[in-house]
Amino acid sequence: MNMTTKRLLTFLLVALCLGPLGFAQGPAAAPAVAAAPATPAPKPITDADVANVPVPTADAHAKGDPDGSLTGNASDVTVSDSKKGLTIGDLVNQVGQNKVAINFVWTLVTGFLVMFMQAGFAIVEAGLCRAKNANHTMMMNFMVYGVGMLAYWLIGFAIQEGGVGAIANLGGTAPLSSEYAITLFGKSFGLFGQNGLFLVHKGTYDVGVMVLFLFQMVFMDTALTIVTGAAAERWKYAAFVAASFLMGAFTYPIFANWAWGGGWLSALGTNFSLGKGYCDFAGSGVVHAVGGITALATSMILGPRIGKYTREGKSNAILAHDIVIVLTGCFILAFGWFGFNPGSTLGASSNGNLRISSIAVNTMLAGMAGSFGAMLYMWLRYGKPDASMSGNGLLAGLVAITAPSGFVNPVGAVIIGLIAGVLVCISVEYIDRVLKVDDPVGAISVHGTNGLWGVLSVGLFADGKSNYGGAWNGVNGSVTGIFYGDNGGQLVAQLIGIVTLVGFVFTLSFVFNLLIDWIMGQRVSAKTELQGLDLPEMGALGYPEFELKSEI
Amino acid sequence: MILIGILVTLLGFVISIFSLALSSVGARLVVVLLGLAVSLYGIIGVLNKAYLKNAIWKKG
Repeated sequence: MNMTTKRLLTFLLVALCLGPLGFAQGPAAAPAVAAAPATPAPKPITDADVANVPVPTADAHAKGDPDGSLTGNASDVTVSDSKKGLTIGDLVNQVGQNKVAINFVWTLVTGFLVMFMQAGFAIVEAGLCRAKNANHTMMMNFMVYGVGMLAYWLIGFAIQEGGVGAIANLGGTAPLSSEYAITLFGKSFGLFGQNGLFLVHKGTYDVGVMVLFLFQMVFMDTALTIVTGAAAERWKYAAFVAASFLMGAFTYPIFANWAWGGGWLSALGTNFSLGKGYCDFAGSGVVHAVGGITALATSMILGPRIGKYTREGKSNAILAHDIVIVLTGCFILAFGWFGFNPGSTLGASSNGNLRISSIAVNTMLAGMAGSFGAMLYMWLRYGKPDASMSGNGLLAGLVAITAPSGFVNPVGAVIIGLIAGVLVCISVEYIDRVLKVDDPVGAISVHGTNGLWGVLSVGLFADGKSNYGGAWNGVNGSVTGIFYGDNGGQLVAQLIGIVTLVGFVFTLSFVFNLLIDWIMGQRVSAKTELQGLDLPEMGALGYPEFELKSEI
Repeated sequence: MILIGILVTLLGFVISIFSLALSSVGARLVVVLLGLAVSLYGIIGVLNKAYLKNAIWKKG
């Protein structure tokens, strides 16, 4: 053999050995197409077939089932009539119940994740404040859970969801059937729900309603806890309790009804041909913008902390006391967001609900892009990759993707998140230096500004590929933004939602907080503020063994 | 000034609602943006200015 032949044989040998390895992770080769045998007509399954399905014997079960091959079989299907035995009707009922059970478990577990976000918010806010206010800030975050839940159980849930109608994923929720509406421009404008007070009113003591309550309650509490960050270090505790109760009972549920509970914003598509109506998949507007805008109203009424501005109006930086727990809290929030956004399908087993994978990936990508955007902005502008703003960038990306998470593709999610990361830095500077509104944790920018950006981005980036049962808000087809061929109707619907948040929700929040200010006063005394709110307001220090530097 | 600020902020919302009486998407867009501008002016230009007049840091 000459050298060329040897090289050729060696190459062929190597190729034969490595070929299968090279394609090990590639698609499997398609099998050769065989001539299809003539298929007999399908034979209908009868009750007799079902009743005679073999099941493992009791003796076999008694020996244990280490490989899991015996557990879960026909004998586990609920039989309606023991004399008849297993029937096709029993099987069909079991399939239906399994679907609803999967959706119940999905919605409940994601709701539990959202509930855990309260811990994330608590330590982010406490860490960004000074040590002398740690107990007070933590206590606000702790009790907002209870205060909000009480208000929501008493009245808020009924206002929000009392007229939402049957939610198929949860097997019905039929008792939530009464929406108060007025007629405007010849169309029905749903304003608030009327069933569900105390979760027993008008048949709402119902398993599906309970799932919906739990999931919506933790969302509402997320909105409430946003305000405690912006108002921290100077908010009278009693005023916080009153303001949180009003927000959980009225402010949040009213807007949530308009967007999610069958109210007029969700009907902009059916009534006025504006795309699919106002679309807010998981609550950039309903949860975060409502929280951020209420935070703005509260912070304006409270005024800035002592020492935040010089007499000339120059802003002073008041440093966070524990950046370690701030970033830990950001991670907890990012984890909880996997409940927030994918859970908003209210199910994992139904038409289109397998998009939970896409929603989860969009959520993590936007968070990543947000933290990058903020880190790079701060690095380029100030020379250091600021830790707290990087954390806020992560949260801003997550806030912004919350509304569009169910409607956009991964590229859209990264763009939305990246813009959010830069936007939060610019917004913090603008609110701090131009508006001179003191927001110790950046909540107005993270949740307010980026909540509005998230709502707007649906009208731009929704790619028309989502299909949750063929329609959204009662309009056939998929949600589509102008970058994917919409005529602008969807964008207008989103903008109407934004003006409702800025014009109506702000006004309602402002008036509520103004009333509280007139009745009991919102702000602690200057002496209390300088001493730190822990002892005067709460009776105990957050860190009793620390030596705190008093400003008195 | 605070009452005026509240009314101006709410006016922006009312303006945006009236956009629904129009039929063209372009006209609706313009009216909604006008409503947004009015609401933002109510918050930033009227209410916040009123609070900044008596800001704690000016009292020294």
